[in-house]
Amino acid sequence: MNMIDVRVAAVEQVTPLIKHFKFVKEDGSQLPPFSGGSHIVVAMDAEGRTYRNPYSLMGSPTDTDAYHISVRRQENSRGGSAYMHENVRVGMTLKITHPVNLFTLAKMAHKHVLIAGGIGITPFMSQIEDLNRIGADYELHYAFRSYKQAAFVEELQKACGNKLHCHSDSDGHRLDMEALLRSQPLGTHVYVCGPSPMVVAVLETAKNLGWPDSNVHNEQFLAPPVGETFKVQLAQSNIEVQVPAEMSMLEAIEAAGVQADYLCRGGVCGRCELSVLECDGGLEHNDHFLTESEKASCSKIMPCVSRTKGKRLVLDL
Amino acid sequence: MERGYWIKSKPVYTSLVWHEKATSHLVLAAGIGGMAALKLFQQMHPAQPVTVLYAKYAQMEVDYSATLKKIVPDNLHVFKFEEDLLTELKSIMPHMRMGLRIYVAGSEGFIWDVAKVVKPFGVENDHIMKELTDTLARSVYCVHCKAITRNVTTNIVQCCGCERMLFVRDHFSRNLGAYMGLMVDAESPGELPAIEEIYP
Ligand code: FES
Repeated sequence: MNMIDVRVAAVEQVTPLIKHFKFVKEDGSQLPPFSGGSHIVVAMDAEGRTYRNPYSLMGSPTDTDAYHISVRRQENSRGGSAYMHENVRVGMTLKITHPVNLFTLAKMAHKHVLIAGGIGITPFMSQIEDLNRIGADYELHYAFRSYKQAAFVEELQKACGNKLHCHSDSDGHRLDMEALLRSQPLGTHVYVCGPSPMVVAVLETAKNLGWPDSNVHNEQFLAPPVGETFKVQLAQSNIEVQVPAEMSMLEAIEAAGVQADYLCRGGVCGRCELSVLECDGGLEHNDHFLTESEKASCSKIMPCVSRTKGKRLVLDL
Repeated sequence: MERGYWIKSKPVYTSLVWHEKATSHLVLAAGIGGMAALKLFQQMHPAQPVTVLYAKYAQMEVDYSATLKKIVPDNLHVFKFEEDLLTELKSIMPHMRMGLRIYVAGSEGFIWDVAKVVKPFGVENDHIMKELTDTLARSVYCVHCKAITRNVTTNIVQCCGCERMLFVRDHFSRNLGAYMGLMVDAESPGELPAIEEIYP
């Protein structure tokens, strides 16, 4: 994948767990334009291995001087978010991918209801810029544990005014999903980004109230889970790769020097799909992309998040 | 008609069945479509609020309004003409909320007139359940003069706009609610294949 060289122009500790990074192009030129909801993948060279994590761009899409991302330090991070927090400093150079948008706003929507949980606020920060620019009807619901842990509330108040609704758990202001979705005018689209239980709650509530699937959008990049060690045989390249417990299959393939496609690295976009030629145990599908019947057929796998329960896998790559 | 040949643009109609998940239901029926509405209430009376708009005099002069009045619990509105129903539909749409499910039964013309009315309110036609009743008669859009000839029951029809003889194709435009009509005797004027009633 062709990557962009960027320099870290600023790092700011926003909350005890969240850091905000500003990237500029290393050669001082403009960065590629993007649309609200886009993400980039940041490659981090840590001792002996490369982490590649997806992060939403949260700056204004009209600003191509710099990109902004925010990283929450994950409690049981496999290394990526910890590396961003501990090792990335102003002046350092990093490689990033071109922006890709897997969380676009629906052009035909009459109204947009945006629901963010915690660090899930980031894709909405670029989307509200787009919505404000076109004068769209929207409301942003931002749920978090406490104001102390909530990032960017002031910026959001400035950008959204009374369209912003904060829901702080510690103040007992829980978001009533059912009431929110029940009262929306026809033609409304809902978007959710946040922790998995929240995403599931929105999807379920919308379904139970009879919302058409096409009006419900979510972004939920999964972190590759830790698993058992196994071997992958790459049939076309004719090499065998060992996948360690705390590495994803995709990372192991890349580390072996084989080019593999990806966009989200979180099991949602479908770009990394590979055909399984042989497998001696069951597959451990962790993605949100393949259908249940595809998963059951054991013929396809998303190497960015999925693994095998067996010892050896043969892939068509 | 060729066998095993599927034209994507040609709409597929089903029998009306209640959506289990909804916050409210809106049933729109015209003429024989009233029977489809009655069949819906045979399935069950949904827990959510239901509104029924029925136009008595569609192409075929049948009237299920008396029976509908007995069956539909409340919120039944009966109209004399489809146009009146569509006017009422337009005026109630702004009050509707997400979770509304729409069911339509009637002629193809009626179905797509309804689709056209609700679209500006953010309802896509895939989200409308449609049952074709009454007649297979088609609206035909003349690709030459853009006029739409209604109630066409034959394979070939004279355009109501430019008077060309049009061959009625299976290609359907959802925006126009009409099938494409192409001049049939362009090559050899006046030479027409047999005209047959195939959309009774
Ligand atoms: S890279 Fe998107 S699903 Fe694997």
